[in-house]
Amino acid sequence: MAEKKLSKKALNKSFRNWYYGHLTCFSQEHMQTFGYLCAMLPLVEELYDTKEEQQEAMNTYTAFFNTEPQVGSVIVGVTAGLEEARANGNDDVDSETINGLRAGLMGPIAGIGDSLLVGTLIPILLGIALGLSSGGSIVGPLFYIIVWNLIVTFGMRFLYFKGYELGGKAVDVLVGEQATAIREAIVSLGTMVVGAVAATWVSVKTSFHLVNDAGEEFLNLQNQIDSVYPGLLTAAFVIFCWWLMAKKKVTPVVTMLILVAVAFVGVLLGVFNPGLQY
Amino acid sequence: MTISWIQAVILGIFACLASMPGMGGSVIGNYTLGRPLVAGLVCGIILGDIPTGIMVGAAMQVVYIALVTPGGTVSADVRAVSYIGIPLAMLALHSYGLDPASAKGISLATSFGAMVGTIGTVLFYGTATLNLVWQHIGWQAVEKGDFKKLYLVDMGLPWISHLICSFIPTVVMCKIGVPVVETIKTTLPMDGIPMMTLFTVGSMLPCVGIAILLKQVVNKVSDFIPFFFGFTLAASLGLNLVSVTVVAGMFAILQYNLKMTGIRAKEAALASGGSFDDDDDEEDI
Repeated sequence: MAEKKLSKKALNKSFRNWYYGHLTCFSQEHMQTFGYLCAMLPLVEELYDTKEEQQEAMNTYTAFFNTEPQVGSVIVGVTAGLEEARANGNDDVDSETINGLRAGLMGPIAGIGDSLLVGTLIPILLGIALGLSSGGSIVGPLFYIIVWNLIVTFGMRFLYFKGYELGGKAVDVLVGEQATAIREAIVSLGTMVVGAVAATWVSVKTSFHLVNDAGEEFLNLQNQIDSVYPGLLTAAFVIFCWWLMAKKKVTPVVTMLILVAVAFVGVLLGVFNPGLQY
Repeated sequence: MTISWIQAVILGIFACLASMPGMGGSVIGNYTLGRPLVAGLVCGIILGDIPTGIMVGAAMQVVYIALVTPGGTVSADVRAVSYIGIPLAMLALHSYGLDPASAKGISLATSFGAMVGTIGTVLFYGTATLNLVWQHIGWQAVEKGDFKKLYLVDMGLPWISHLICSFIPTVVMCKIGVPVVETIKTTLPMDGIPMMTLFTVGSMLPCVGIAILLKQVVNKVSDFIPFFFGFTLAASLGLNLVSVTVVAGMFAILQYNLKMTGIRAKEAALASGGSFDDDDDEEDI
């Protein structure tokens, strides 16, 4: 029996199906399962000739799957390689090994993807884009659209094909010591940029001031606070929200409602006054 | 400024593409068209006022700078923020005659976005629930070996979910939003407590977005230092975001090199046959 080898065409089709379809038919019950099935279908059709074999292979991928889909391309690539090995009669690879690997990888990869991509790359790119869009300039959004799509499209392709070539070893590229060092450095870069985003784009200000009998202002609380540390009030509110959500396990929506209450009391007491008029 | 039927329909189509889960795929849909900054550009083009659209989008973007959806739980819906919130906020700014670049304009936009985004989560759950029906069809297809049908299930039928949960709500909200904005304007005076609270909340809401991000990266108190480092560069030294990124990049390289020096030293110690305690290798990822 000749060695079966997946064609470039089938692999490309599989990648495209994953790239586009991983979340289109999302439900809370089977999050990315159908995206995964669509990604495996071109491969299974090429590797197996009979309907029965195809059916058996596809049944492997009906198990629940959910991860961070961009970085998760590597898992799809790895399973493409495994499926090829199984079609060539490698006895070490069966449905259980494939699903064990998928289940074992989706958690860690989701953690890496969420912190690196959604928690770091996107905020950095958006932070820069926000800076470029002051005054309503279209440079900001265009920068984000181009840079994000280039990085992610090529990144996902790279991970998919690395996963296919290297199999399980590709995962070391993501979780090895060097990868961890790179990731930590990028995350702290992101944290710094987010600090700057907070200082530039968020501004919580108090309007509290005291005047003497002659109508001269002798206390302007905002100036006092800023002379201690510029933006201290904004930073304090960020820490307060962080404390509520991280330490008190309050949901973001409830945190927003607490801010509504804080603002309402503050307005009544004259601490906050946005200075509105017609 | 008003929103015509055609404009509302185009906004509705973009809402279908930009949702999470959406028909644009998550790279181009959710993570590009669904970001309020990009949506600001799109809404600006559709409604014919690009600068206002981008400024409103930018204001809302800060609130949702890190919309992490771990395990598919959402605290805000991108299609609602981006394609209902932004058009209505643009209308409101025009109606009140506020400058979108001013602190007041930004506060109004963020309040609007957060309100619509939070209520909009119902659309997310609606879409995901309707998709269960298509997935049911998909399971039957897999059982029968009718695999070609999977493409229809994954990429075709969810359009119906979006027609119901994205398209119609967007068109309706954009159309009835115009009189609602006018009514609010006449019934609630700008210097009254409700409006003052609304605007104050608007300036505070981005803190929640930043805090969600910090929750991801801060595990111990010293993890706050990079955040305050960046904050200080911008607030005290007045650097813009691109400059801050360059400075932060320098520190990131230093940190990486330090870490790698440690790793290489350990490898060298192992290679020279020394018995190295391997325990601290098993770091959590």
